[in-house]
Amino acid sequence: MTDLPAVAGSGRAPGGAAPVHRRGKAGPGLIRRHDLVAALDRAVQKRVTIISAPAGTGKTSLLRTWADQPGQDCRIAFMTVRPGQRDMQLFWLTMLGAVRAAAGSGDGAAQLPPVAPGSGGSAMVDKVLSELEESCDRFVLVIDDLHELSSPEAAGQLTALLTRLPPGVRAVVATRRDLPLRLHKLRLAGELAEIRAAQLRFTEHETRQFLAAAGIALPDHVAVMLHQRTEGWAAGLRLAVLSLAGQSDPERFVAEFSGSDRTVADYLMAEMLERQPPEVQRLLLRTSVLDRVNGELADLLTGATGSERILLDLEDANAFVVSLDPGRTWFRYHRMFGELLRLELRHTMPADVAGLHQLAAHWLASRGQAADAIGHLQAAGDWNEAARMLTDHALSLTLDGQAGTVAALLRAFPARTGEESADLTLVRAIADQYQLRLDQTDTHLREVRAYAATAAPARRRRLEMAVASVDLLSARLRGHFDSIVEQAGALLCLGDGQTSADAALSSDLKAIALLNLGVTEAWSLRLADSERHLVEGAALACRIGRPYLQVACLAHLGFASTGRSFAMARRRCEEAITVAARHGWDAEAVTAPALAALANALIWTGQFDVAEHWLIRARRATQAEGEPGIRLLVCLTSAILEVARGHGHRALEEFAAARQMQALMVGEHGLTVRVNAWTIATQARLGMTRQARAALAALDGRQASAGEIRNAAAVILLAEQDPAAARRELRVVLDGDVPVLSYLTQVEAHLLDAFACRDLGDERASQEAAEQALNLAEPDRLMLPFAMTGAWQLLETMPRHGTSHAALVTDILDAVCGPGRGGSAMMPVEQLSRSELRVLRYLPTNLTRREIAGELSVSLNTVDTHIRRIYAKLGATDRTAAVERGRELRLLSVGRT
Amino acid sequence: MRFHLPADDHVVMDWGPALYMIRVDGHLGAMVLYAFPGMTPQQKGAHTVLTGWLDQSALHGVLAEIEALGLVLLEVRQVESHGEITEIQ
Repeated sequence: MTDLPAVAGSGRAPGGAAPVHRRGKAGPGLIRRHDLVAALDRAVQKRVTIISAPAGTGKTSLLRTWADQPGQDCRIAFMTVRPGQRDMQLFWLTMLGAVRAAAGSGDGAAQLPPVAPGSGGSAMVDKVLSELEESCDRFVLVIDDLHELSSPEAAGQLTALLTRLPPGVRAVVATRRDLPLRLHKLRLAGELAEIRAAQLRFTEHETRQFLAAAGIALPDHVAVMLHQRTEGWAAGLRLAVLSLAGQSDPERFVAEFSGSDRTVADYLMAEMLERQPPEVQRLLLRTSVLDRVNGELADLLTGATGSERILLDLEDANAFVVSLDPGRTWFRYHRMFGELLRLELRHTMPADVAGLHQLAAHWLASRGQAADAIGHLQAAGDWNEAARMLTDHALSLTLDGQAGTVAALLRAFPARTGEESADLTLVRAIADQYQLRLDQTDTHLREVRAYAATAAPARRRRLEMAVASVDLLSARLRGHFDSIVEQAGALLCLGDGQTSADAALSSDLKAIALLNLGVTEAWSLRLADSERHLVEGAALACRIGRPYLQVACLAHLGFASTGRSFAMARRRCEEAITVAARHGWDAEAVTAPALAALANALIWTGQFDVAEHWLIRARRATQAEGEPGIRLLVCLTSAILEVARGHGHRALEEFAAARQMQALMVGEHGLTVRVNAWTIATQARLGMTRQARAALAALDGRQASAGEIRNAAAVILLAEQDPAAARRELRVVLDGDVPVLSYLTQVEAHLLDAFACRDLGDERASQEAAEQALNLAEPDRLMLPFAMTGAWQLLETMPRHGTSHAALVTDILDAVCGPGRGGSAMMPVEQLSRSELRVLRYLPTNLTRREIAGELSVSLNTVDTHIRRIYAKLGATDRTAAVERGRELRLLSVGRT
Repeated sequence: MRFHLPADDHVVMDWGPALYMIRVDGHLGAMVLYAFPGMTPQQKGAHTVLTGWLDQSALHGVLAEIEALGLVLLEVRQVESHGEITEIQ
């Protein structure tokens, strides 16, 4: 027994069906309506063609006949929207699958990216468009049953897709009703074609052709009568043909039919059914409750065997039964046909309906098709069981990208109090959280906790784990990390001896729990615990085939490793990004922690340009959304990059943005201190000492005692020309008397101390302090503190033999000042003399040479000579160039010479 | 006993059910009528008129069903606008 065609999704729940298009087999009883096909050919020359016509008018048949034409020189990606499709991401994944299958890029289904819940739809639109662009062939996207897409974001995203098709790509869309797509631009540009019901009507001629193809001999006037009675309605004609086949007196049949006022579908459907052998009737009616059917399921519902044969024959005999996979194991009915069958079922066998739904539900549930199973339970009126199943599967379904489906299933429950309503509270919590209504989520969770205490043990554990998971995620979304972590221990022990379905559920829950727990711990600086849980979570997620969770765990692991060592952080971030890229998520919000942490690590080790590249990606990934914590990290990383590059004011803007993110978060965490400390330090360095002092004063006693803040206070004192006081501030940090986040703070402190010593005139102490900093920095090859504090200036004047870290010094100067400055490679061949330097420093001003001579109390001749020699030594041809070169070589600052 | 609200000329959002008459082409047989359990069918000439009390959601449900069955919709008319209203003291 083959499983449902799992074209999209994580390999468990199939998303929409992209029926594999069998070229060359137009299906039985379909005539080639040449004129109509030609009309479609002409229409497809325009960018977008919309076929809008009611049920049963032959849209799908037209699309198939058209696509089947020999000599189609373009690739055709054919997809059909599943009935009641509420989840845009699944729609896009199905389309991606169809595009890849058509492009012939290997085994299309296996390569589909798994679902990333919450992934923005516009990103998917971009992805589809870029894949279309990459394939250089001409493409036609065919989307059937587009009216079935019932998500609020559908209109916007579809419009985006259709208006941005790359050149060489066309789209054909079939729908039963006009859709709210804003395509007026295309219409104005003459790029929109429409085919409507009137064009789809069978002409008299086509009716005759159809009858002939079906082997039904009718005299001309009778055929005309049939045509008029059905008004050229395709479904009617098809039903008629099915009823006429084998009729002893076809003329009389048509006459009676014409004489009746009953609607065509009604009349002919009844006739058609009557003519089927009893086992076929039974199968058609009893399987009509299903969206899709295969032999095994049909056998179950009919209580018979051999259903597969019947289904295959039905497909061969008429176009109302369609197979969904190349192996022809799964089928679905034409929607209207199925609808009518369902009605007939309710009419003739009303007592059996609920039972059929229940059978279907259990069969589907045992194969992991939870959403469909729940729908059937609801249809059977089995509300309690439906509620329990929905509660158990809500998190997993959300993870599968079916949040919209969960919400719809939830809405379908009647408003009642009682057991199932308590059950559904967890689902309501999950649905509310998905919509970011976090306060409602909290309320619901409290109710669920109370209810869980009364449940059976295995169920209770699962409920508790689910509650804890949802709670932790709320904490992440709020940025509130303080209080949750205690529940951790209870979470993670799960019993054994469950059914395989149960175990799958529990594994999902456990992986989610590990992820959320690990992230929360990272932010509250319980780094060892965080690492342990995230590593376990990643491994579990990999094992159970939940790549989204795996990437999330790895990305946060990279972030959490920053505290340990930058080399490890880099490695882990890169691993996370590699795994994410495998699934096409390297620009998604889920990878953002790794992108930001990698940029961070690179900046700390002095690779500013590479870091910027990653930082831009991180910023893009968190633009629309994302936890406040990660967005704060991105702002903070941007800020330190700006400081490192000497752009103090831009840095302050980024720090301000970081503080805005902080304001969205409840409570503090590891990064808060750094944001505050570096803001103050940057303000002080820019000369904004008043603001810096005010910011310092605004901190409470506990915050102000942190080592990072003491460093910032020292920066203020240095800017206020009080190096002695600065040294006193730094003493407490260097002696380890105050808490510090990590040794990075101490590197900074040593460097600030070095400045203070220099300002006090104690060159030797200054160099010792700098050497201490270099000692600490060497293992990780740290460079950022040297850039941020401006200590590279100290290194410049340091004699190279006086340090055992010559290589590091060179690298630092290279990174900060640009290549070549660190070594002597590009120094001017001759040093400028003192008098020449004095003249050089006047060049950027707008003083004339005569005025410069006056300033320096020398003759004009002397100045001219100096300038000539300056130009020669700097390789400059004019004043501007000399200034530029002087600036590059940092000769213009007034240093101690 | 039905009470009407005091005469309002301005449009008020009415959430309650109203009496609708929906006309479709052709006579609906027993099978298809099963799709409209809350409605009473009446054959008028070559058409069928379905009458019933529907709130807005139910109305759209009926229209969706008509679309799904490929019936030809001819007319939708609201005949009476207010449902039973209990007297408010």
